[in-house]
Amino acid sequence: MDVTVQLILNGIMLGAMYAIIAVGLTLIFGIVRVVNFAHGEFLMIGMYAVYLLTTRLGFHPYATAVPVVILLFALGALVQRFIIQPLLNADEHIQIFATVGLSTALINGALMAFGADLYAVEAPIARQTVPLGPLNILVGHMVIFVAALGLVAGLHLFMQKTALGRAIRATAQNRYAAQLMGVKVETIYVISFGLGAACVGLASALIMPLYPATPTIGTYFVLTAFVVVVLGGMRSMYGAFFGAMIIGIVDSLSGYYIAPDLKEVVYFAIFILILIFKPTGLFGFGRGTE
Amino acid sequence: MTPLRLLSRITEPRVYVSLAALSLLLIVPWLIDSSFAVHIFVTICVFGALSTAWNIVGGYAGQLSLGHTIFYGLGGYTTALLIKHYELTPWLGMWAGALLSVLVALGIGFPSFRLRGPFFSLATIAFLEVIRLLAIHFHGFTGGSAGLIVPLKIGWAWMIFQDKFNYLIIAFGLLVLTLYVAWAIRTSRLGYYLTAVREREDAASAAGIDTTRVKLVAVAISAALTSFIGSFHAMYLTFLEPASMFSLASAIEIAMFALIGGLGTVAGPLLGTLFVVPIAEAARGWLGASANGLHGLVYGTVLVLITLTLPGGLVGTFGKRIAAFVDRLPGARRPDDREAPALRQVTGTSGETVLETRNLVMKFGGLTATDNVSIDLRRGEILGIIGPNGAGKTTVFNQISGFLKPTSGTVAVLGPAGTMVSPRLPDEFARLGIGRTFQIVQPFGKLSVIENIMIGAFMHHHDVEDARQSALRVAHLVGLHRLKDVEARNLPIGDLKRLEVARTLATEPSILLLDEVMAGQNQSDTNRMVEIIRAIRDTGVTVVAIEHNMQAIMSLSDRIVVIDSGKVIAQGDPHVVVRDRKVIEAYLGEDFVHAQGL
Repeated sequence: MDVTVQLILNGIMLGAMYAIIAVGLTLIFGIVRVVNFAHGEFLMIGMYAVYLLTTRLGFHPYATAVPVVILLFALGALVQRFIIQPLLNADEHIQIFATVGLSTALINGALMAFGADLYAVEAPIARQTVPLGPLNILVGHMVIFVAALGLVAGLHLFMQKTALGRAIRATAQNRYAAQLMGVKVETIYVISFGLGAACVGLASALIMPLYPATPTIGTYFVLTAFVVVVLGGMRSMYGAFFGAMIIGIVDSLSGYYIAPDLKEVVYFAIFILILIFKPTGLFGFGRGTE
Repeated sequence: MTPLRLLSRITEPRVYVSLAALSLLLIVPWLIDSSFAVHIFVTICVFGALSTAWNIVGGYAGQLSLGHTIFYGLGGYTTALLIKHYELTPWLGMWAGALLSVLVALGIGFPSFRLRGPFFSLATIAFLEVIRLLAIHFHGFTGGSAGLIVPLKIGWAWMIFQDKFNYLIIAFGLLVLTLYVAWAIRTSRLGYYLTAVREREDAASAAGIDTTRVKLVAVAISAALTSFIGSFHAMYLTFLEPASMFSLASAIEIAMFALIGGLGTVAGPLLGTLFVVPIAEAARGWLGASANGLHGLVYGTVLVLITLTLPGGLVGTFGKRIAAFVDRLPGARRPDDREAPALRQVTGTSGETVLETRNLVMKFGGLTATDNVSIDLRRGEILGIIGPNGAGKTTVFNQISGFLKPTSGTVAVLGPAGTMVSPRLPDEFARLGIGRTFQIVQPFGKLSVIENIMIGAFMHHHDVEDARQSALRVAHLVGLHRLKDVEARNLPIGDLKRLEVARTLATEPSILLLDEVMAGQNQSDTNRMVEIIRAIRDTGVTVVAIEHNMQAIMSLSDRIVVIDSGKVIAQGDPHVVVRDRKVIEAYLGEDFVHAQGL
């Protein structure tokens, strides 16, 4: 019994990590209406940036969150401005290929720059465990969990309370109507894409102490994030958050009870079933919300 | 078209130029005579063939699979395992692999084809990941991550050679086979149907296309070809591991070569492969083996640049100019377009009931869009349906053409056996002879006018040439023959409305449903449309027209049904109906009726 509870707790912690990545993906899909196949590679870039800042400039890994979030925001904004924006009215397959091509180029660019070696940073505190009754919890996981809650709460306030947030929501609802109301839609898209990328910037600073960077690390995380986004109804930040928790728990339990190398099979199977039978997501947040 | 008929066209410039260019893939490496050159050309043939096979689903049908290496890997593994355990020659093993691939393709395609755009792509990635992980998990069977070595038995029977040039012969043969299949599909009814499904699924079903079925046929063919290539490539590599056989990166490469060359074209995928593979190999040559990842960087960058600058790919951008140049070369010419003889007369007893609806109720949430609508349609009449905006006229159309399933009530159509039948899906309605147009025109934008009409004509004319002749006749009837080669997306609204009628008419319907085909047209276009509808009726077709243009509908209709708030409020002779108090009230309001003292 204790094992199961510990596994569920681990799953929730793991879910928090997926949640940060998935919220970024949801922002981009929900507002710009583009599925960003290069999202994982943003994470990969963020992780190498954390590595460089830590080893070359002596930052604490967690302290790199600030510069890396800014860097990733800029990267996302540039990608939106120079790759996605010219293709907004293009055929859907062209949009898919643009981000797929970007993803391929970035993975292989990293392979050329850093090779296939693992790059890890030293952050002993992240690996310390804190007892929680009979259970144990990693400090690194706890930091991620708190950050995930903070991110969703912060974005919620931003979307509901600020003029920019309202403009973003209006654009997500109806791009043309928002334009008629004087919203600068193209600027909104650049900001939204930047925000989505900034989320993975945050994720990379928090993940780096626990996982080493490799050129393909992004693919590993983002495929799971896609599962989460679909589970959460694709356009809903809150859906993505809860979807992430579910996938985290499924990951943790199936890794233990079925087989460690089949846990991905389990949640990809869930993914396929949800896509096919309940495309609005588990919680019905799909259409019309956000 | 059989290979023999293709051979008989060898005197045509396009045919002989293509074959000559293709043969360079054998001649050049034979002249260079180095094992590295042979390796590059085997790679080009394999990826060119994989990309061409992918294009049947990804390009023609527009279903962007990013999991196509599933079939490549299944082919390779099946063949290798059959050699290992049963000493079965790969020439037979590849068929077993293809059969398995087709079954898996149907199993994946059937549920996934309902997904659109990026979500279809994501689902295919998920399937690929699942299969790769399973291949690793069941290592006792597949060798797992450690890999599987193909038993080394040399000779043609085992598809493993010391002289590498033999590999190139087989790879080239597979490429030619794949290109031939791709070309045969492109120039057949299936090819047109796939394009129609890609461009507009609704209009495709209205033209009688079973959209799921054609997509499944396409994916089955594509999977079988991909599997053959995978079988061969496994023999060439002699080593299989899940990471390389079920590779996401390769699946993406296959798709990107097709896009770079020109999605949905026959030559595009091969040209895309020829364009980027040598660039990447050359760059690797300059920078040496240290440049790990360089080819992927080149591929990805080229792909992004292509999407930004040449979204039609190489063929889409330069194809027309090259074709025009080739056509100036000496050789035979294709015969001019011929027009089919007059439309066959629809036979049947005039005045018999050909379609009846009983108590149709359609609810959208709290809104009752049609409320107990019962209409009988009699053979040979023109029935006008009028009513204020939002009255539920189009909803009635959607129910009698299968696009909406009524909440309650029935639709019955006179079947070929003389009994009333109740079809379910839009394409079933279409094949029973109910042709419909859409109020908001639904052209296949990237097809020419004549090709748009051919999509309809294919319902009764399976041969492309027959369909073209029949389509030309219809184009003539509606006055679009001068615009036959214009792409539909470039037409003004009046012509689009006529195209809508033409495509439907080409299905040779016995009942024609016209949804506001005169809306937004000028007076001369309207008069022309009235003439066209009369001409259609004279061939025995029963016509139902929704129309707001009162003058036109009054003069055309034998009978009028008035719908308001989902209910039939009046029906009968046009001149009686317009004086009906309820009708005037519906259009002009109660106050007006009182003021007029009616």
